[in-house]
Amino acid sequence: MTAADDDRLWLNAYIDGELDPAHALEFEQRLAADPALAAAHARITALRGAIRDRVPRERASPLLRRRVAALARPQPAPGWRALAAAVAAAFVAGSALTYVALGPGGSAPVAQDVVASHMRALMASQPIEVASSDRHTVKPWFNGKLPESPRVVDLAAQDFPLVGGRIDVIGLTPAPTLVYRRRLHVISLTALPSKLGAARPHAIDGYNIVDWTDGNLTYWAVSDLSAPELEDFARAFRAGEAEP
Amino acid sequence: MSRADDRRFADVVLPHLDDAYALARWVLGNRADAEDVVQEACLRALRGISGFSGANSRAWTLAIVRNAAHDWLRRNRPAAIVAVDDLEKVERLRARENAAASPPPDDPETALIARADELALQAAIEGLPTAFRETLVLRDVQGLGYREIAEITGVPIGTVMSRLARARDRLFETLGEKP
Repeated sequence: MTAADDDRLWLNAYIDGELDPAHALEFEQRLAADPALAAAHARITALRGAIRDRVPRERASPLLRRRVAALARPQPAPGWRALAAAVAAAFVAGSALTYVALGPGGSAPVAQDVVASHMRALMASQPIEVASSDRHTVKPWFNGKLPESPRVVDLAAQDFPLVGGRIDVIGLTPAPTLVYRRRLHVISLTALPSKLGAARPHAIDGYNIVDWTDGNLTYWAVSDLSAPELEDFARAFRAGEAEP
Repeated sequence: MSRADDRRFADVVLPHLDDAYALARWVLGNRADAEDVVQEACLRALRGISGFSGANSRAWTLAIVRNAAHDWLRRNRPAAIVAVDDLEKVERLRARENAAASPPPDDPETALIARADELALQAAIEGLPTAFRETLVLRDVQGLGYREIAEITGVPIGTVMSRLARARDRLFETLGEKP
């Protein structure tokens, strides 16, 4: 296999978010320095976008669905479908209720959950699900997974390179989490509906927490970085320009 | 077949029926054959449901569907199954020739690809050899990760990567040509 072959595989894997953060960062530096590689990047991205936007997802027809369901249930119980729909509806209503019930004031458990998610991510083989320092890759990754994708700011110039993102579940709320780095410290930045409250404790278990609210979202930055440096990060993020 | 197996089947296989049908449809090229193959695959899945380890129900289901589709192709359209080893050797040589000619910055082909319409995209994907087509569809149409695709197609991740790169290269060639 030649070096050019390798590059093509790496480039594809990078665009698909399949590189670990260290390799993704390394590859991005090469991408910035190599116009031919950047042109190939643009081409693959254009193709992926065209397929995603214009090739429809095929769906099983109702007839096929019935045929397959009948394999397991030769005499299907009547009303199974209605029952499933009712269960689904109850589930949705249930989670909405829990969400409202959590309300303001539930912030100490929220802070604990946010820190726990950060710790869990550090212990995992990979602290992120989408690895990229390109916010134009990270932001779209959240689309389709969450109703709203978070504000993503490029802070490489401030020495807080973006390494990727993941989705945490805080209480019962799925929350977009961006992952930044300073030196060897990982910073998790989780966005939650502000009605869940803001941080009371500013440190849990050796992890510092800085939070701020922007519109109807509260941002929680968690890291083992020193409190002043984490404050710097928060200031830089709030001052930073979100992607258009 | 016990009631427990039936319930397990409903939990493990039925949620992935859309994905199962989509994969079969792309591998076989038409709806009637795809529906028959999915039904056949589901029967196999039901019989083998006690062997499901509980790890990834989608990958498990889709692997069965993919095998059923390939069995169907071997029986009914043997010409569609090209020896993949040969194919990949040829592609590697071609890729080496192309590597020197990577696209220029602001490549006009890129704009052409970005604007390709649904029919052109569909025809280009349908024109890919089966092994490349199923890999590309699982990744770019169905949105699966490399590991899952490797499990479904029964090859190492490195092979998924090379098939995907070659599939995309071929699409560039088809879609980048001026009409």
